[in-house]
Amino acid sequence: MKDKKQTPPKFFLSFFRWFCHPDMSDYIEGDLMEVYDRNLKKLGKRKADWKFIFDVLLLFRPGIIKPRQENHNLNSNNMFKSYFKIGWRTLIRNKEYALMNIAGLALSITCCLFIFTLVKHHLGFDNFHENKDRIYRIVTEMHSENEHYSTGVPTPLGALVRDNQTFSEKTARIFIHPNALITLTDKEEKTKYKEPEGVTFAEPEFFEIFNFPLIKGSIESSMNTVNAAVISEGLALKYFGDKNPIGETILMENDLELSITGILKDIPDNTGFRSEIIVSFPTFEAFMPWLASDDFWAGISGNLQTFVLLNPSTSTYEAEEALTYYAQEYPMNKQTKSVYQLQALNDIHFIDRFGGGVIDKNHLWILSAIGIFLLLTACVNFINLATAQALRRAKEVGVRKTMGGQRWQLFWQFMVETGIITAISIIIAIVAAYTLLPSLNNLYDINLRLDLFSNTSLILFIVVLGLVITFLAGFYPGYLLGVFQPITAFRQKLSQQHIGGFNLRRSLIVTQFVISQVLIISLIVVINQMRFTKNADLGFDKEAIVMVKAGDNAASKMEAVKNEINRLPGVQQISLCNNAPASSDNWETDILWGSSQEKMDFLINMKLVDENYVSTFNLDIIYGRNLVASDTVMEILANETLLKQLRIINPEDALGTQIAVNSGNMKGQIVGVVKDFHDKSFHEAISPIVLASASRHYSSFAIKMDPRDYQNTLEAINATWQENYQDQVFEYAFLDDRIEKFYETENMMLSGIQLFSLITLSISCLGLYGLISFMVAQKTKEVGIRKVMGSGVTHIIWLFGKEFARLVLIGFVIASPIGWWFMQNWLREFEFRIQIDVWTFVIAGVGTLLIAAITIGYQVLRVAYLNPVLSLKAE
Amino acid sequence: MKDYQLGEFEEIVLLTVGILNNAAYSIAIKDEIESRLSRTVSMGALHTALKRMEDKEYLRSYAGEATEERVGRPRRYFEITALGKKAIQHAKVTREQLWAAIPDTIWQAKLAGI
Repeated sequence: MKDKKQTPPKFFLSFFRWFCHPDMSDYIEGDLMEVYDRNLKKLGKRKADWKFIFDVLLLFRPGIIKPRQENHNLNSNNMFKSYFKIGWRTLIRNKEYALMNIAGLALSITCCLFIFTLVKHHLGFDNFHENKDRIYRIVTEMHSENEHYSTGVPTPLGALVRDNQTFSEKTARIFIHPNALITLTDKEEKTKYKEPEGVTFAEPEFFEIFNFPLIKGSIESSMNTVNAAVISEGLALKYFGDKNPIGETILMENDLELSITGILKDIPDNTGFRSEIIVSFPTFEAFMPWLASDDFWAGISGNLQTFVLLNPSTSTYEAEEALTYYAQEYPMNKQTKSVYQLQALNDIHFIDRFGGGVIDKNHLWILSAIGIFLLLTACVNFINLATAQALRRAKEVGVRKTMGGQRWQLFWQFMVETGIITAISIIIAIVAAYTLLPSLNNLYDINLRLDLFSNTSLILFIVVLGLVITFLAGFYPGYLLGVFQPITAFRQKLSQQHIGGFNLRRSLIVTQFVISQVLIISLIVVINQMRFTKNADLGFDKEAIVMVKAGDNAASKMEAVKNEINRLPGVQQISLCNNAPASSDNWETDILWGSSQEKMDFLINMKLVDENYVSTFNLDIIYGRNLVASDTVMEILANETLLKQLRIINPEDALGTQIAVNSGNMKGQIVGVVKDFHDKSFHEAISPIVLASASRHYSSFAIKMDPRDYQNTLEAINATWQENYQDQVFEYAFLDDRIEKFYETENMMLSGIQLFSLITLSISCLGLYGLISFMVAQKTKEVGIRKVMGSGVTHIIWLFGKEFARLVLIGFVIASPIGWWFMQNWLREFEFRIQIDVWTFVIAGVGTLLIAAITIGYQVLRVAYLNPVLSLKAE
Repeated sequence: MKDYQLGEFEEIVLLTVGILNNAAYSIAIKDEIESRLSRTVSMGALHTALKRMEDKEYLRSYAGEATEERVGRPRRYFEITALGKKAIQHAKVTREQLWAAIPDTIWQAKLAGI
């Protein structure tokens, strides 16, 4: 009978329970059940059900329905208040546990915030233009003996497209003149500014295609007038302060007198167009007549770019098809075949093929994946710690359940606790992100901003992040607490089986350690390679040498300035040249050997230098003699590589040989051979080099100073220089800094790896800590019994230690080949590189083991020294 | 008088509680009324009346035993308070006074009319 109990319609019963006043519901429900029971016996199930429903509906009346607000709302609020209070107390009581969790979560949330802002910043590039999906840049692919790519097109193309083609609604040509010198004259007093972002010459259509609004003035009048310019608000403030800038004039490159006819709204951060001075295109014809000419098809400047607003009805394919006509009709030269392509505005920021790409989209995805991974590991670590904690809370759960706590109530209680931890972590992460952002911006040379209050997507991201973390991290432990049987909980019979998945935890820890060890191995290799590039002998001196650009090209003046500087105290050596021994800006040209008219099949690196070059840079002449100064190329120094390329084994044979370079118009004979020096970064092999003397090609002073007092010397040089070149701005760079710049990417990567290895290591240590606290909680009794049976502290330590040593070692065994493979690939980019030695791995392995040992040390020692009486007394 | 407000149904319930003496709980009251007065009593009406009278302090209640057919829910027994007794007494007395005040001719006329 009992197992076949008939029940009234569930829905109406719960409806009744829902509406009935709590004071009465018990009795009335009893009545209902009694009547139902009676009807059931008398009338059968169907009628009894109907009567039941009828009764319930008749009970739905004012005296019986519970009052609206008080009871219902107050109760849940109170419960949540209680959850919150209990949660808070649990956190306060288990400070260490709370700290671990909060630290881990805050760390990964901070990373996520940064990654989110970075990815969003990059994906949002140039997204504020009205027709951004239809804006394209015409770029050039050149096929000759090898392929070349350029962001530019021949100057006349844009005009022809505008006049003759229908595929583009609007066409605009711009020319970017980088690193411009701007001179302001105010009552005879000159102020000079170097604008690294330069000046852009633009046709009026540029402003129709792109969204760069003017605050004052009109595009029409500014962009069609010769020598008219618009400048940004910020720049106007910098140049003229409070004065009205309209009508003022600025001098560009001591050549163009520009009058300001408009003010541009400040250029947003998220655009590739950085120039804050925009000059009318007709002015460009005065500035560079040869490039601006309407029939100059013979060359391409990457800075002369043409943008089109594609007709909505035309495809890019059709447009490119139409452009082939111009490539055929106006070839650049006989050998080169040009192909014009359309590059979407959206791709300009990401695709570097044609030049100018800033970041690969794949990098952004990798970064996002790293963020998600960090988040997941932090969540899993949280789960590890929380389930370990769950054992200790079994009693509380037992009591709650006995007092009538429902499973979902326990679940929500735990969710609220997780929510508290997540909220605290998020707050800490936001604070950390704000404090760290400036240094991060500095490190990676970007300009990210966290506008928490104006950036809705960021707020949304944080909220979603919080919810996701709470759910991911809280779900499993909450569920687990809910299913505890109160009896088992009281009898302390909970064990691994109830807590589940020990191997899962282990493999997770191993994965974390694999990743951190791979990163550590990479870190060591990259640091070693960077140290190698810094300390290796380049074949020339780079310390205390400053490179100073000459103010103009006049050779005689340079010679005079050189002599003047040479007399300054603190200057040891000075040389005139076109560039330093190692430079990113090389003149590579062809070479004719001896009397032959055939060009050799390699290019040489041509350096035009005076007679002091060798001594200034301390180059090593291994055979023959130094150059004698001359105005045009007469004598030549060759390096060993050049001889090798020319298959001259004995340097003696080379002396006196006639060489012609630069399509044969520079001829000279070899008078000496210099020992090989690195003329490029370690990524590249040493090129065949020709050093020759030709005073009209010099552009820089190379000054070797006394390192003890270079500051004052530099000031003195500045003064002398300024006296001679009054219209120019003194620019200098230390040679070792410039060489350091060769490895900018690597250094950036290095700091990235440093950061990430630190983060993953901390997170995996947190995971390890979670695992050990879990194990210790499990094995306290076992340890007690072992101690009673006579095992010592060392034995106990080993009991735990071997487990963790094993995890780290497994991680190491997996990580080593991966790290080796990655780094071997990375090193392959270097022509001159270090060998990966055993020590790298030893340091990585032992280091991680040590860190792991420190992490688990406290917990293990605590349990090992615990008096067995304490662990065994309660059973 | 104002002090003793008692509706018709309430009066019946109150009287029934009195009849049932110590066994007055809702279903019993319901059954009693239904069998004596042959009218159906809905649980809603009954509970509302009980509650109202409890609020007026004509009745007091205490929790009783739980049985199996009530799936563990307790019964709630009612008994008349002193105030309740006064109220019902008052009702009775007022009715009787009213009855007594009706002239006999009414009854005769009625009889004659039939």
